[in-house]
Amino acid sequence: MSRRVLETDGRDWVQRGIIAEEQRVQLLALYPAERPPLALLPLLGSLLILLSALSVVAANWQGLPEVVRLALLLGSLAGTYAAAEYFLRRQYESLGMGLLGLGLLLFGISILLTSQMYQLIGYDLSGLVAWAVAGVALTWVYGSRFLFILTVVIGGLVQGYNTGQLGAFSYLTAGLTAGGLGYYWWRRPDSVLGAVLASGLLWQAALLISHLHIKITWFFLPAMLLYAFGDWQPDRPAGRALQGPPLVAAFVFTLGLALFGESDIYAGRLRAPMLPYLAALGVVLALSAVGKQRRGRLGSLTDWLLLLPGFYFTGGLPLAVATLVVLYAYSGAVLWRAHQEQNPDRVTLGTVLFILTTAVAYFKLTWGFMDKSLFFLLGGGLLLGLSWWLRRRAARTFSTSEASKP
Amino acid sequence: MSAPATPIPAAAGAQVATAIVRPSHTLPEPRRRRWLWGLVVAQLLFVLAVAGAGYATEQLGTTITLRTAPADPRDLRFHDYLELRYLISELPGHLWKGSAVPRRKAPVYVVLEQRQGVYEAVAVHPEQPAIGPGQTVLRGWVQETWRRSMRLRYGLERYYLPEEARRQLRRPQPLQVTVSIAPWGQARISQVQVLPALPR
Repeated sequence: MSRRVLETDGRDWVQRGIIAEEQRVQLLALYPAERPPLALLPLLGSLLILLSALSVVAANWQGLPEVVRLALLLGSLAGTYAAAEYFLRRQYESLGMGLLGLGLLLFGISILLTSQMYQLIGYDLSGLVAWAVAGVALTWVYGSRFLFILTVVIGGLVQGYNTGQLGAFSYLTAGLTAGGLGYYWWRRPDSVLGAVLASGLLWQAALLISHLHIKITWFFLPAMLLYAFGDWQPDRPAGRALQGPPLVAAFVFTLGLALFGESDIYAGRLRAPMLPYLAALGVVLALSAVGKQRRGRLGSLTDWLLLLPGFYFTGGLPLAVATLVVLYAYSGAVLWRAHQEQNPDRVTLGTVLFILTTAVAYFKLTWGFMDKSLFFLLGGGLLLGLSWWLRRRAARTFSTSEASKP
Repeated sequence: MSAPATPIPAAAGAQVATAIVRPSHTLPEPRRRRWLWGLVVAQLLFVLAVAGAGYATEQLGTTITLRTAPADPRDLRFHDYLELRYLISELPGHLWKGSAVPRRKAPVYVVLEQRQGVYEAVAVHPEQPAIGPGQTVLRGWVQETWRRSMRLRYGLERYYLPEEARRQLRRPQPLQVTVSIAPWGQARISQVQVLPALPR
């Protein structure tokens, strides 16, 4: 309910005897008056003047004395934070948070420009790590989802810059993102933040794998560790959101392998040494299983079917068949669980995954030796038939569930 | 927007309102403000420390001159910096003084000695070595190793070119780079001179 409804209809409710006048006042107190919106024209005017000042500074940046450049950077940094706190105190929440985010961005820009001024850039990683530290600290102080997301993005940027430009991976940045923001999310579980955090961490894990030049499948070790972390989270939707990106990554990887894995170019870069890889993954699986068991969600162990190491088969047909088996096992399990739990969203997801897998399998296994017109005709028929059958099954599941309700 | 028609009767109402405005997980306002000012001061000090490190490296450090391979001014069409390749970036394997083969990304210590006005590498050590008179040490990282040579990275490969040097650099020309090495190991480029182009 909004305050506006209370203000317009409240007196009418009192007259009809639905609520007492005192209750109307108490209800109004629960929804405090919004701040009047900021006047748009002065705001736009100031923004334009600021842009003009910025372009003058940017055009003359190299020509300005060092002290002036430093003073400009420090002044705008402190000024932005002061303005943020000023507006927050007057309850202009979004403007205040936006300015805090701008302050955080200005901090990163100041580090980069100062390092550039003194030709220190590229020397070590500590400068940009400080940026991530500031982001994590601000997120904790303000408990802001916006700052959380901004800090995940900053962590990804810092790591991209480190690996791309400086040829080094900052374990401290990765640890800060995982520890500082991970603990924040653990304490205040949230679905959107879970998915954002997982995506950010997977990005950093991918950068690490590419930086270390190790086999691609090692990526699934940190990815599934993140998944296992989601199993321990008491808040189910938030935990599931954290587990989404690792599962998507594993599904897309296996699908790609089924489609293009025959070529030895990929196969050679994929496979981590079997024993250490499977042992390490086994430890993560155990961690995940214990988490699932503690929270009474052992049924979702079927997610791990995606991690079946079909890719240890050498290239060619055996690899394609093995990865298809993995995909079928997983999408079949999603469908089966969806019907068990009578969850319509998951039925849709399972249906899409199952049909996608069938399409890939059909293309993969029959393209080479069938007449093309027959290939498309049979393929179309197969997919249409499958989609009809799955829909019918879903409809039957839900009709029995409706009928069984008292 | 109008205020409530009747003033809120009980103080309890005001408390409820505050609790709704401020999400339960954020800090109370005075503490939050203290934290913010602490963080702002820390950020300002950090930027000043970066500047201070640059300034101190030049003031307190040992100054050496290094030569680069010809730097291509066409790079400047895409960036405002040059990628520098030093003559000491690629070194022959016999300078390596470690017992094991150098690993990629491992830190190394390059001993430099002045010869005809320019510093050249005379040894590469895996640990900080003791040096003789007239020698200095520059820290680097192994970038690539081959059978008979290795490529090192010093973190000095990128130079943001001031306007006048930009005008001087017309075709691929070698540069003479003055580097300050601080007693604590940090190094920065303090000056770059454009040398005449090599005869074709």
